[in-house]
Amino acid sequence: MPVFKTPFNGYSVKFSPFYENRLAVATAQNFGILGNGRLHVLDLSADPSLPIGELAAYDTADGIYDVSWSESHDSIVIAAVADGSVKLYDLALPPTSNPIRSFQEHTREVHSADYNPVRRDSFLSSSWDDTVKLWTLDRPTSVRTFKEHAYCVYSAVWNPRHADVFASASGDCTLRVWDVREPGSTMILPGHEFEILACDWNKYDECVIATASVDKRFPLVCLNGHGYAVRKVKFSPHVRNLMVSCSYDMTVCVWDFMVEDALVSRYDHHTEFAVGVDMSVLVEGLMASTGWDELVYVWQHGTDPRAP
Amino acid sequence: MDKAIQRQRVLLDHLQPISSSSNFSSQTHQSTDLSASLCFAKNSSHGQIGGSDDDVVIVAAYRTAICKAKRGGFKDTLPDDLLATVLKAVIEKTNVNPAEVGDIVVGTVLAPGSDRGIECRMAAFYAGFPETVPLRTVNRQCSSGLQAVSDVAAYIKAGFYEIGIGAGLESMTVDRVNRLRNINPKVETFAEARDCLLPMGITSENVAQRYGVTRLEQDQAAVESHQRAAAATAAGKFKEEIIPVSTKFVDPKTGVEKKIVVSVDDGIRPNTNLVDLAKLKPAFQKDGTTTAGNASQISDGAAAVLLMKRRVAVQKGLPILGIFRSFAAVGVDPAVMGVGPAVAIPAAVKSVGLELGNIDLFEINEAFASQYVYCLKKLGLDPRKVNVNGGAIALGHPLGVTGARCVATLLNEMKRRGKDCRYGVISMCIGSGMGAAAVFERGDF
Repeated sequence: MPVFKTPFNGYSVKFSPFYENRLAVATAQNFGILGNGRLHVLDLSADPSLPIGELAAYDTADGIYDVSWSESHDSIVIAAVADGSVKLYDLALPPTSNPIRSFQEHTREVHSADYNPVRRDSFLSSSWDDTVKLWTLDRPTSVRTFKEHAYCVYSAVWNPRHADVFASASGDCTLRVWDVREPGSTMILPGHEFEILACDWNKYDECVIATASVDKRFPLVCLNGHGYAVRKVKFSPHVRNLMVSCSYDMTVCVWDFMVEDALVSRYDHHTEFAVGVDMSVLVEGLMASTGWDELVYVWQHGTDPRAP
Repeated sequence: MDKAIQRQRVLLDHLQPISSSSNFSSQTHQSTDLSASLCFAKNSSHGQIGGSDDDVVIVAAYRTAICKAKRGGFKDTLPDDLLATVLKAVIEKTNVNPAEVGDIVVGTVLAPGSDRGIECRMAAFYAGFPETVPLRTVNRQCSSGLQAVSDVAAYIKAGFYEIGIGAGLESMTVDRVNRLRNINPKVETFAEARDCLLPMGITSENVAQRYGVTRLEQDQAAVESHQRAAAATAAGKFKEEIIPVSTKFVDPKTGVEKKIVVSVDDGIRPNTNLVDLAKLKPAFQKDGTTTAGNASQISDGAAAVLLMKRRVAVQKGLPILGIFRSFAAVGVDPAVMGVGPAVAIPAAVKSVGLELGNIDLFEINEAFASQYVYCLKKLGLDPRKVNVNGGAIALGHPLGVTGARCVATLLNEMKRRGKDCRYGVISMCIGSGMGAAAVFERGDF
C-alpha cells in the first residue's frame, strides 16, 4: 500500500473532492509545538505498488494543523496554521504566487478548516482563541465570528445537507450546533466530561453527530476502544453506520455504531500518535491517515496499510 | 518559547487519563454555563425559508417625503394626514387585514404628548384601522422612531401579539423646540442635569472642540450628504420607500391654496459645495464650527414599519425585507450627547454576537456633522458603508420620524445590494445624553 514520508509530523490528511488519486496533508515541525510547517499535495499512482508522488509542497513559518479542499475550485486548498492565519493555496499557480491569500484574524492557533460542501462559497476555521470564523474566498475579512466557546475550538464541521448549519467541538467540553443565520448557537451539547477534539455529521442521518474526546469515547453510542484521547472522527460518505477514528493510542479504528460489538477493524500501522484520518468520497473504502511518525498511509478498508 | 510551552500544555491536556476527572473539572477553562436550545437544522429540509419561525421580521417599511419645516411641501399639511398616509400604505401594500394588527407605536417628540397621542389615534382611523387596534406614542427624543420599531419588536418577541407597526411622525412646522418652562434650581448643583438644558447646537460645538473635529471636516460631511442624497434621488432609489402624499399648499405670497402631491424630499441641495459652506457664520457659538449648512434640517414627515413574526409572514406569503436582530439604548455625557452612536452601536452589535467588521451598512443620523464625523472616526467605520444615500443634513431630521425612516432606507438599500450585504445598523444620538442603535439582517439571506 502507498506510503509517503513527510519531513514534519503529520496533523491532517484530506482527499480531494475532485480527483480520486489526490490528497493534501498538513504537517508541523516538532509535533506542532515549535517550528515550521508544510503543506503537501500528493498524487497516488494507479498502481498501488508504486510510490506516492508529490505534486506540490508549501512551507509555512509555523505548523499547519489542518487542511481543507475547496469544493468549488479543484486547485484551491485551505490551510489552518498555528500562527493564527488561514492560508489559501492555488495548485494551478507557481509556488512563488502562493499562498494566494493569508487571512490573519485569529489571535491564536487555528486548529481546523472546513469548506462548505453544499453552498460551496464559504469555509470555516476554528481556533484556540475560542472562536469559529466564517469566510468566503472573495472577502479579505471574515464574514462572521462565532464566539460562545470558552476554550480552544478544535473542530468546526459543516452539515453535509444544510448549507447554513455547522457543528463545533471544543475543549470547553461542549459540542455546539450553529445556524449562520442565527445570532447564537442553536444547540449546546455537553456530551463529554472532557475536552472534545473532533466532530462529524453523519452523511445519511442529519440527527446523528459523532464527537471524539479526551475521555476516549463517542457519546451517542458510547464506543469504547481507543486507549487514549480520540483525535479525529469521520463518518463514511458511503455507508450510513460506518465511521472511522484515530487516536493518541496510535491506532485508526473503523466502527459500525449500529452493531453491539461496534469495532469493525483496528489498524495499528502508525508508530506515533495517529492525528489525521480521512475516507475518500470518490472511492468507496479508500482511507488515508497521518500521524506524528511522519508517515501518510493510503489503503483500502479491510487490507493491511503496511502491506507492500 | 512561551508559545511552545502553551502549545505543549494544550496538547498534553489531550492525554489526560480518565482517573483525574476531579482535577480536570477544577480547571478554569471548563465551561459551566451550558444550555440546550432548539436545533433549526431540520427546518431547512422542509423547504421553509431559513431562520427561526420566531424571528421578528419587517415585511414593509415606508415613509413620506421629508420636507423643510415652515417652507417645504408639508408646511400646510396637518400632521395626522402624514401619519395616516404611511399607516394606510403598510396595510394596503401588504394586504394585511388591519384588524390583525396588535398595536401601533408612534415615535414623536415635539408635540404635547396627550394631544399627539389623540391625533395619532385619529390618524389610524383615517387610515382604515378599526377601533379594536390600539395605539400609543413613544418619546426618546431623536431616536423615537427607532424606539417605536424596537418596542414593537420586543412586544412581538414577548408574545403579546404577532403583528405590529412601529411608526414615526413629526411636524416641525407646527411644533417647535421650547425651553423647559420651570427649571428646578437643583440644576445648579448637578452639572449633568444642567447640561441637559444645553441647546443641541452647543453640544455639537462641544463635540467639535473636545474631540478635534474641524470645520472643514464638518463641511465636507455636509457636501457628501447632499451629493449622495441628490444622486440617490436622481437614480430613483427613494421611489421604493416614499409614499406620495396628496395635500394642499398655500402660496405664501398670494394666499392661493392648491392641491399638490408630494413625493420628493425637498431639503436636498445638489449644488452644496465647500466654498459656499465656508461663508456661513456659526449658528450657535461665536468662533464655533457648527453652521446651518453642516447641521440637520428641521423637517416634516412620517414613516411606518410593519413587523411580524416570521411564521406569520410565511403563512401570509409576504416577502421578508429584513430581520430585527437587536436594539440598544445607552447613556452618555449630556454635554456631548452627539457621541451617543459611538457607544450605542458597539453595544447593539455585541448583544447579537457580531463585530463591527460584520456590519455591511450603516445609517447614522447626521444631527450635526461634528458628531457624525466623530462617530465614524471613533468606530473606524468605512465611509463607503455609512449613509450611502445621504443623511439628515441633506434629507432633514424630523425628530420622531428619523429612526423609522432609516429602517425604510436601510432595508431597501440592503435589498438592492443583495448578497454583498447581510447586516445593517441604524443609530442616532439623543438629546439629554443618550444613544440608540439597532441591528438588522437582510431578509433573503
